[in-house]
Amino acid sequence: MNRTFSQKIKCFVTSWEMVLLCLLVAECVIFGAANPKFLKPALLFNSMNDFMSICIISLFVTFVMITGGIDIQAGSIVGLTSIIIGVTWQDYGCNIWVSVLIAVAAAALCGALSGFFIAYCGVQAMVVTLGGQFLYAGVALLVSNLASTASYQGISGFPEDFRVLAKTKFFGIVPSQLVVFLILVVIAYILLHRTKYGRKIFLVGVNPEAASYSGINYKRVIMSTYVLSAISASIAGIVLTSYLGSAKSDLGSNFTLNIITAVVLGGTLSTGGKGNVIGTALASMVIGLLRFGLPLCFKIGTQYLDIPVGILLLAVVLGRAAAGHPRIVNLKARLKRSKPA
Amino acid sequence: MKKILKARELSSFLFLVVLFLIVGILNPSFLTAGNIIACFNDSVVYIIVSVGMAFAIFIGEIDVSVGANLGFTATVVGCMLRDGQNWAVAFLTGILIGAAIGLFNGWGVAVMNVPSLIFTLGTNGVMRGMMYVYTGGAWVENLPAEFKQLYTMPLAGSITVSFTVTAVIVVVVHLLLKHTKRGRYFIAVGDNPAGATLVGIPAVRTKVVAYVVCGIFAAVSGIVFSSRVGFVTATSGNGYEMKAVAACVLGGISLSGGVGSVIGASIGAVIMASISRLLVFMELGSTYDNTITGVMLLAIVVVDALMQRRTAEMNRRQRLAARTGSADFGKGGNA
Repeated sequence: MNRTFSQKIKCFVTSWEMVLLCLLVAECVIFGAANPKFLKPALLFNSMNDFMSICIISLFVTFVMITGGIDIQAGSIVGLTSIIIGVTWQDYGCNIWVSVLIAVAAAALCGALSGFFIAYCGVQAMVVTLGGQFLYAGVALLVSNLASTASYQGISGFPEDFRVLAKTKFFGIVPSQLVVFLILVVIAYILLHRTKYGRKIFLVGVNPEAASYSGINYKRVIMSTYVLSAISASIAGIVLTSYLGSAKSDLGSNFTLNIITAVVLGGTLSTGGKGNVIGTALASMVIGLLRFGLPLCFKIGTQYLDIPVGILLLAVVLGRAAAGHPRIVNLKARLKRSKPA
Repeated sequence: MKKILKARELSSFLFLVVLFLIVGILNPSFLTAGNIIACFNDSVVYIIVSVGMAFAIFIGEIDVSVGANLGFTATVVGCMLRDGQNWAVAFLTGILIGAAIGLFNGWGVAVMNVPSLIFTLGTNGVMRGMMYVYTGGAWVENLPAEFKQLYTMPLAGSITVSFTVTAVIVVVVHLLLKHTKRGRYFIAVGDNPAGATLVGIPAVRTKVVAYVVCGIFAAVSGIVFSSRVGFVTATSGNGYEMKAVAACVLGGISLSGGVGSVIGASIGAVIMASISRLLVFMELGSTYDNTITGVMLLAIVVVDALMQRRTAEMNRRQRLAARTGSADFGKGGNA
């Protein structure tokens, strides 16, 4: 690193993450002004329990999108994980931690299956994960039929040491979900930006052919990203089950739009090759606070929340497309030239 | 004759027949004329939405906002009919809404070059929210009885007018696509966008038109949906986008664009619509619906991808053989 400190600062201030950080602050200010309750630490931290699963999943869906793929099955894996934990624990008498392990393994298997079809059979990621969404949601429903309780009721009554997982509050206020998320941010950051594996992911996203010529097993790299995102979905499923105290097969079924928006808003190119974990983490927080603040401060029903999130997604992709549009790029170049040096 | 045999729609049709026969063997009471006609009658909504989706897929893109489009149109048209509005006005409004949504999608995808899945996913979220805004989450009920009868009105025997009209529309669209210059633009653009532009086809305009057509078909299916179900809830049309994509794939339309026909899409739609009925006859219950759909979708796309890779490999070999002059691999090749 031969950049000076001030250059680094300048680089950081003009970066996209800075914009997201400003957005986050702006949200706090606006919502706080509209309803001072919003800024109560206890309430704010508590609200995070409701959207942390989205944040957790989007971290690793970032990996998938950097390779140029897309993952719309993650939401259904959340439900599958949850119901597997419930059924293996309640109806097959497993230890709760064994059920958790089984659920993670099952999720990894689902991710591997989709990843295999995408990487080794060359089917478009979108179609495979679309089929996966149906399949895993369907399997979750079938698994829930094995339970002795009706599926709409969910399975509850988990042992205390499992519930503690999401109930613990560090320093009496920071929910453990946030801690799990922060740990995962660090892991994802190191994995993507500080290891060889991470460089491979980027290279595969930029140009898979070049990657394969330089000796990278790009198929394995692509497949592994789907396994990772499925595992992250299972972690979200575990945390969510623990938090709600009940296992249901349809948990996470409406996550897709939020996850994709978080990843795209975080600065990941949907065509692959560019993206970063910090951006996604910040963007997912922006969306989470939006989903918490709008109903609290502006009395907007939770059913309407897809509108702001959808508009956000459209605005970001359109803005980015406009910035890269030949006419705008020409205009920018002309402006630069016309400016006296 | 050979052309018919090679057609991709035929394999989908055979798949449908085999599916019916298997269920018939497992449960002989399924194989009655009434049941089979009912399978076709029930698939009208799916057929219309899938034909629209086929246009988006022909050009190598996708439109996952058709579900919300369908639901929103059904809501608006439903409200207008309930309030005693003129039918023609209501239908026209619905179709205009669909066209507007399609135009917006087409603009984002074709003009602004946003990846289609992401753009239409955003539109989907917005429109789904708009449904809540429009009704406040309430059901749209008390549609006029004549309107509800429209869907089940019989033509001859148990064949309904709605199915017949749909079938005629599909055939007309198919002929327009295959035998008019502008119709062939869609396939050309999807097959090779750069090449299509080079030979003077307005690629961007064709893509926008494809999205508008897709939106209009989604809107029409929304109207049919409200006639068929008789009420519209805030979640109506959820998941139809996925089923429409699945129907297109089952019908032999390649998701990389440029291959397939709307007849195939319709056959795929009949398969998709029949699954729940078939499951009942197999005594499996509707909980298997999603699983079976997922398995079929995955199986078909994987097989399709493997077959395509094989043909590509064969073509490459053929070209290579033609170039080196060896006659082992069929003369000429199909460059």
